[in-house]
Amino acid sequence: MAALSAPRVATARAHPAAEFRLGPVARTGVLVVAALYFLVPLLASARYALEGAHGSYTLSSVTALFHDSVLLQSLVTSVEISLGAAAITLALLMPTSVWVNLRMPRWRRAMESITLLPLVVPVVVVVLGIYGAFPTGIVASPVLLALEYVVLAMPYSYRAIDGGVQALDLHTLVDASRSLGAGWAQVFRRVLVPNLRSSLLSAAFITVAYSLGEFAMANLLSFTTFPTELFQIGTEQVGEATAVSVFALVLTFGVLLALSLFGGHGRRRAVRAGLPAGQADGVVAELAAEVDAVLGHADPGRPGIVHDGPTMR
Amino acid sequence: MAVTRLAGVPSPARSRIGADRGPAAPGRRSRGGRPRSRVARLLRFAGIVPFVAYFAVFLVVPSVSVVSSAFETVGGNFTWANITAALQGTYLVSFEKSLELSAISAGLSAVLGTVVAIALASTANVAARRVVTSASAVFANTGGLPLAFAFIASLGNFGIVTKVLSAMGWNPYDHGFSIYTLTGLVVVYCYFLLPLMVLVMLPAVDGLRREWFEAASLLGARRRDAWRHVGIPVLAPAFLAALMVLFTDAFAAYATAAALTNGSIPIVPIQIGSLIEGNVLAGQQNVGDALGLGMIVVVAVAATLYARLQHRAARWQR
Repeated sequence: MAALSAPRVATARAHPAAEFRLGPVARTGVLVVAALYFLVPLLASARYALEGAHGSYTLSSVTALFHDSVLLQSLVTSVEISLGAAAITLALLMPTSVWVNLRMPRWRRAMESITLLPLVVPVVVVVLGIYGAFPTGIVASPVLLALEYVVLAMPYSYRAIDGGVQALDLHTLVDASRSLGAGWAQVFRRVLVPNLRSSLLSAAFITVAYSLGEFAMANLLSFTTFPTELFQIGTEQVGEATAVSVFALVLTFGVLLALSLFGGHGRRRAVRAGLPAGQADGVVAELAAEVDAVLGHADPGRPGIVHDGPTMR
Repeated sequence: MAVTRLAGVPSPARSRIGADRGPAAPGRRSRGGRPRSRVARLLRFAGIVPFVAYFAVFLVVPSVSVVSSAFETVGGNFTWANITAALQGTYLVSFEKSLELSAISAGLSAVLGTVVAIALASTANVAARRVVTSASAVFANTGGLPLAFAFIASLGNFGIVTKVLSAMGWNPYDHGFSIYTLTGLVVVYCYFLLPLMVLVMLPAVDGLRREWFEAASLLGARRRDAWRHVGIPVLAPAFLAALMVLFTDAFAAYATAAALTNGSIPIVPIQIGSLIEGNVLAGQQNVGDALGLGMIVVVAVAATLYARLQHRAARWQR
């Protein structure tokens, strides 16, 4: 019917129902129900964590746990492991990505695919293989966790670094520095690292986030990290464990949500101002934009890793 | 998926003639430089040796070890016994349960996630859209312990939602529901699968042009017909590709199930976990490896299907 008269087609924009969309009632209904499903567990665990005697609210379960020396020690271990993993990630993946883009550009796609392989082998299976293939002395050291997290987080960290490297005019930068007499070490230190700052930071951030939350491998290899200690506490005192996990969750959510919400803005503003992304809001916005891009919705049309960020399941 | 793509990449090794012609035509020489000799050709790969070695030691060696142990007795001789043991009794049941859990939670999340994506694409409110996509990115990355605790706190035996519902006269635990069962796990898994689906489907839904709807209406289609003959077929490849991702994600998940049910639920990752922790029958030490091989096979099939479907889905998103 609408098609019979031209004016009606022209005003069709005002009627969202004349396309593959939902009307206002239906879409509000759907979004409200979804919001309930996602917010109720969060609110419930916050309430559960803060529950005192006779319906009062108290922070005692949280504060009690921060006097738990075993838990604090496990937190230190987790932080050490995650920083180690991030350092190895940068040292290993940045030169690799630079080399691939410089010397073997034909292999770029293949490298992207190879770095996605850790997603195909479930973590429990990797643990089985570690017990089967590695000497017991290595399996007993928590250093192994840092080494493995580098591989497990690689689908995300390599993407972050490689994206940055591909965005550079690598040949020009390297040729220029080399012709001015810089050695390779100097090229990396004074040209590439500064130019890749935001990509490197986001790769490090993603690796740290993965390592801090990883439970399956740490638990099955019998290491005491923050998540496994939390699990132990949870078997006896669910309230307390919930308190700490809510605390950790809110912290992570806050950081991620802030990065996610403001990340795109920094980049977009920079683009609008005609500046390369990153000169606009300094390193925080840059990092945010990078994390945002890797988590997946800054550039929704991009195929590949399916918009999945580091998971800790 | 990666393997097929790898095979499709042309080898950088060029014919001798081509390589010899290089210096004669310096203007045409590619910037990567064409290797002139076999040595130069090999040197070109030198820079990725550390990466390849690292990757091999920490991922390939363990994976290959699982696959080979699956066919070995404890003494190292070839046997099919592990495989047959893994396809019997409780282990077979655990595969069925795992497939059931992953299929149901992935299917449910896929359908509901698509509905949410359509609802989101329908709002003209840019801020609302931005908040929901950001929230989806965050929720898609939850899982593991915190999520398990959050659901125990809300829908557990003494959870807050359970209390509210029973105060209203309908205690879900009196009606066969429990968060500590497969049904409960489906509810929990949807929490991180559904937002992932929203993120993946949103570009596809945005790609559904109103012109197509109008063209269908011109040809006399009702709303339902337009969806059935245009909307759904266009979304189908993206939907199915995403379904594979959700399935894989649910199938491989260990931490959430372990924390929620304390290892009592018979799904494959939990079974492997309990075998690793030493609950092994004599003579079945390598059954865990056979289960691991089974997981790799299932995930590899899903990943291959994904790669195929993703290729088709990309067509409509240009």
